[in-house]
Amino acid sequence: MKKFLALLMAVAMVLSMTAATAETVTAEKGTVIYGSTTEIGGDFWFTSHWTNGATDMMLRELSSDCSTVVTDQGGALVVNPTVTKDLVMEDHDDGSKTFTITVNEGLVYNNGEAINAKDFIWSTIFACSKAASDLGVKSTASSLIVGGKAYFDGEVPYVSGVRLIDDYTFSVTIEADYLPYFYDLNYASFGAESIKYWLGEGYDVADDGEGAYITGDFTGEALKDHVEKVRFYAGEDRVSAGPYNLVAFDKSALQATLTINKNYNGNFEGVKPSIEKIVVVRAEDATWADAIKTGAFNFYDTITDGTQVNTALDIMEDEATKTALGHGFEYVQFDRPGYGMINFACDFGPTQFLPVRQAIIQLLDRNEFANTFCLGWGGVVNGPYGTALWQFKDSEEWLEKNLNAYTYNPEAAVELLVEDGWVLNAEGGEWTEGIRYKEVTAEEAGTYLHNVTLADGRILMPLIIEWSSSEGNSVSDLLKVMLAESEATKAAGVQINQNVMTFTELLNFYYRDASQGDKYGVPTYGMFNLATNFTPLYDQSYSFTSDPYYVSQGYNLNYLFDDVLDWLSMEMVYGVESTDTQTYLILWQKFIQRWNELMPQVPLYSNVYITMYPDWLENYAQDSFWDFQQAIVYATVAE
Amino acid sequence: MGKYILKRCVYIVVVFLIVSFMMYMLYNLIPSDPARAELEPLRKDLKPDEYLMRYEALRAEMGLDDPLIIRYLRWMGLWTDTDGKTFNGLLQGNFGYSNFYKTDVVSTIISPMSNTIFINIFSTIAALGITIPLGIFCAVHKNGKFDQSTQVVTMLGYSIPIYIIALVFMFLFCVVWRIFPVMGMKTAGATYAPGSWEEFTDMLYHIALPVIVMTFGSLGGMTRYVRSAMIEALSMDYIRTARAKGLREKVVIYSHAWRNALLPIITSILGWFLGIFGGSVVIENTFSLSGMGKLYWIGLNNNDFELVLAIQMFYSIVSLVGALLIDISYGLVDPRVRVDK
Repeated sequence: MKKFLALLMAVAMVLSMTAATAETVTAEKGTVIYGSTTEIGGDFWFTSHWTNGATDMMLRELSSDCSTVVTDQGGALVVNPTVTKDLVMEDHDDGSKTFTITVNEGLVYNNGEAINAKDFIWSTIFACSKAASDLGVKSTASSLIVGGKAYFDGEVPYVSGVRLIDDYTFSVTIEADYLPYFYDLNYASFGAESIKYWLGEGYDVADDGEGAYITGDFTGEALKDHVEKVRFYAGEDRVSAGPYNLVAFDKSALQATLTINKNYNGNFEGVKPSIEKIVVVRAEDATWADAIKTGAFNFYDTITDGTQVNTALDIMEDEATKTALGHGFEYVQFDRPGYGMINFACDFGPTQFLPVRQAIIQLLDRNEFANTFCLGWGGVVNGPYGTALWQFKDSEEWLEKNLNAYTYNPEAAVELLVEDGWVLNAEGGEWTEGIRYKEVTAEEAGTYLHNVTLADGRILMPLIIEWSSSEGNSVSDLLKVMLAESEATKAAGVQINQNVMTFTELLNFYYRDASQGDKYGVPTYGMFNLATNFTPLYDQSYSFTSDPYYVSQGYNLNYLFDDVLDWLSMEMVYGVESTDTQTYLILWQKFIQRWNELMPQVPLYSNVYITMYPDWLENYAQDSFWDFQQAIVYATVAE
Repeated sequence: MGKYILKRCVYIVVVFLIVSFMMYMLYNLIPSDPARAELEPLRKDLKPDEYLMRYEALRAEMGLDDPLIIRYLRWMGLWTDTDGKTFNGLLQGNFGYSNFYKTDVVSTIISPMSNTIFINIFSTIAALGITIPLGIFCAVHKNGKFDQSTQVVTMLGYSIPIYIIALVFMFLFCVVWRIFPVMGMKTAGATYAPGSWEEFTDMLYHIALPVIVMTFGSLGGMTRYVRSAMIEALSMDYIRTARAKGLREKVVIYSHAWRNALLPIITSILGWFLGIFGGSVVIENTFSLSGMGKLYWIGLNNNDFELVLAIQMFYSIVSLVGALLIDISYGLVDPRVRVDK
């Protein structure tokens, strides 16, 4: 036994020694150690041709930022003067549009090699090609660009819509089908990437007068090995043109390291970074607070959950942590560009009736819900927008006046139900208590599960709403208490049945995807709880289409067939020139107003996020559409 | 013996085919649409007609519209690929394509597998190094104070879920005493020469706490198992005979009792060694370690069924081969057992 105890002591000593050796390596001031809440997949291809994991995208964008058109701090598209010398748009009679772009001379990659027009167009030709498709690339380029499809199909050896004009000038022509488009400036966004690095030696861009093409053995088979290698590669010799160089990725430890790119050309405002080093590590929900307290990382981006926000604030106020780490923390807060919601199916059952949807909204105290769920770090919106959108900012006063806030009002909810005819009981008599019923036509009744047919032939629909709710979801738990099982709901004669299922199954019912099983193709659930986020390119086109084929393929997931809403959603992006912001904004407001009247969704909560960073970091100003990878370029180290 | 092993190998193939069929069917019962998942990011940027055309084409390319049995045979490599010409399945060495990582499953698995093996070797050796002597000591000193105390402690370790142990240890060792790091396998930002001593010690430093937690969590079961096997062996008549012959107590315990107690224990020990290849979902997620458990978890959460199936099939093979090794080892440990029939 003594020997055994001695052995244990020896093991403990070895472990302590390793601890002592390794503990000497600590984070230096000036090094951002970024705790990532999403997986680091390790796909470092310059764009989302294969994967679009959030952390991988962030790493790509930190190392690639030399685009002709970019988004600014508010999410608006702007021509990048650091890169673009001239951008000319030309409309053609056939409806297509050509963007002719001249890039500045003197742009360089991180290795000092010069950037020219070829570097901006090869990736578009690649994305249009069969070779890329054979490698598993998913891209819209061949549909979007004139001649892209013919090139993909092998009808011609060039992309007629992509032209190499001279060393610093190129043009790209967009198909008429996709125009006019309010965000068409986005079509002119091309980034500089090195063809030699990404495709390997022996490839170049040429244009013999009919369109640009890639020279060399340009097939999936020939490219496969090299592309597989560079996709997952990080190192000092990785060629890129962003503010940082992705110098290392430890696949075993899931840790990426970036160092400053001394040859960076600057962002669209000419700003260059001063933070020397960024290390990205994986953070876990259960242990992130302990990790940040012990210095495992010092930067925690976009804390979304109210409990976590409060924990972060506690850490910031903790003097012991500050003393132990040698620095404190600051935070920046910003609004989520989206919200958690109830999504109604508006084509069957009780939720097909507008007063029912409006009544349900008024049976839920949304402000209290948001406050409880977000622990004070969230609010409520009254339409399909986020408060960070420029459209909202420009329309805030108008929306305040013209939108119905649907405040908590059970009496008003009952009135709406009564006016809509929900005044009967199961026998067809006058409703006094329990579930309300309404006499409906055979068409309205449809195949709704709970309908009752009386002896006299009348069809009664009960006010029972089947709710599809994903498992392990805290929103569902709160919704159950505050809406489905609330006294106000019961007193109003409404019954909401929660049906818990996996998220995958929820999506199948949501999409009515019969290919996954016949039961999914049948309208079954009247409401779903989900969440959505908006990008700066606010586009709701086809979301309210009435075309049966599109609907069957999941384009109108509210199954709300309203011509006005459909027209507005299409017209505001496909009917307005990009320069006509005024008309766009009017249409956007009308769209929001119409949506607010019809309420196909109930926005439940819109979080306020915070990002926690070390207090030696100055000038860090993250926002809803201005992410870490953009904001860090402006940050400096406090003296 | 050779004939016996050959026969068992044939069984392994048959069982593997049955298991693979069952697992494939099970995962395909889960209603999900990989084509939709893959094309969803493009939906907003494409016109509906174009999107739907691509969707149909991708379904055909993935063979999703074929009967399930054909998809299974194709996955196994017993049916031609969607091109109708080549065979490209498990039997041809194609373990599948990860829809989450968008690369071959094999290249996805290599790094987590090596991490898991590295961590589990330490914890398995540590656990066996502690539990076997401890179990023997407790059995020899049955009902003594040390034995009773050990029973209580091991029962606690056995009863408390591993994630609770992990969080308590993390709080004590990382936050309060600051001995070990909370997470990861490498000090953030540290750069080492590949294969250097510094890199190795840094890794040891990072995996020390997970290893301690895993070891602590597995003490209870094996200690009690060894103890009961030894108590049974020590109660046999031949032990009384050995003692009556005047043999030294050490010889009685290690040569007579331990060797006889080993037979039931060896099943567990080999099971543990086979477990070296399987990661711990809880430990790897808690300590943010990139291992097989975490990879499996990611695969399941992202409906990456080819990845999950490949991992399952690997474990099936390991289990089947392991069972054969256990049976062969019986014969080696106990001459009374013949394994040639």
